[in-house]
Amino acid sequence: MSNTTLISASALASAVAMALTGATVLASAGSALAATEKCYGVAMAGQNDCAAGPGTTCAGTSKVDYQGNAWKSVEAGTCTTMSLEGGRKGSLEPLERDMPA
Amino acid sequence: MRPAAQSLFAAALIDPERPLPEGITAARGKAADRRFAVYRNTVTVTRIDALAAIFPAIERLVGQEAFRSLARLHLVEEPPASPVLFEYGAGFAALLERTEPLRPYPYLADVARLERAWLDAVHAEDALPLDPTALGAIPQERLNDVIFTAHPATRIVESRFAAVSIFSASRGHRPLDGIRPQEPEDGLVTRPGHTVEVRRLAPGAAPFLKALIRGETLAAAASHTLASHPGFALPAALSVLLEAGVFTACTLLPARME
Repeated sequence: MSNTTLISASALASAVAMALTGATVLASAGSALAATEKCYGVAMAGQNDCAAGPGTTCAGTSKVDYQGNAWKSVEAGTCTTMSLEGGRKGSLEPLERDMPA
Repeated sequence: MRPAAQSLFAAALIDPERPLPEGITAARGKAADRRFAVYRNTVTVTRIDALAAIFPAIERLVGQEAFRSLARLHLVEEPPASPVLFEYGAGFAALLERTEPLRPYPYLADVARLERAWLDAVHAEDALPLDPTALGAIPQERLNDVIFTAHPATRIVESRFAAVSIFSASRGHRPLDGIRPQEPEDGLVTRPGHTVEVRRLAPGAAPFLKALIRGETLAAAASHTLASHPGFALPAALSVLLEAGVFTACTLLPARME
């Protein structure tokens, strides 16, 4: 197998090493991305984040404030700790509360 | 409803020349032709609106009126195969490709493929992108045998035209000034966080990533790509792979038995 291979193991190793060095910069960009979480039950009506597309319940479509099944992207770690009106708590999973009538 | 009746009903829904399906009446047995026409119109408009929501860049490029005519053609030729409307439009790019008046704009089909891929990525399952340290943890002498697992959102669209630039300009409501449509561009669609990202790939990166997605080892994919694209920059392609979240995991191919 290795005798038909054009690329040498050392070339491959150095390419991976270069990519990983470059990726340390990117890892911080990546961690900025990772530093958010989907938080259910915290968005004001019409302010939720969501996937786009027809036939879905989507961004900006939540009907009531703090709708339990609508989520918003928030800073990681803040979802369940932020304080909301009426003693509500955010959740990382969809909630049953505050559903539109 | 019996299957035969169902297919007659479905056919009558998209063809106004067809008679009212048998057994459809208004209250107390009154004729329902006009009511059925209202329903037919609602179905048609909804499907056209769905296509406009899925292909906003195309709609901007060809104009609303032309878009609605194309959408109408598509929904007659290829009614939705799934009750989930956001899955609609898989064949729309092919329709654009073979529509005679669109010949001068051959890039439209690939822009539509990018738009379809973008929506696939939006609705793909959540998954964490590959952690670069997982690749770093593989011993150098075993890197040859690394295989990767594709992220559910990853899509690649190879184009002989400047599909990525045109897609981005049209979606960003920017003019196409300065874009040379004949410049080939391959597009990478990923969703590393909750947001879809579309990138233009350097020459060779698309076949390289596709080979990895097919399950080829790192050495095999790199070698095949270097053979077909001598200028292929492997380190840059690996950086993109990590940055864009193309994969979720990497593992070593089990040692082969002799």
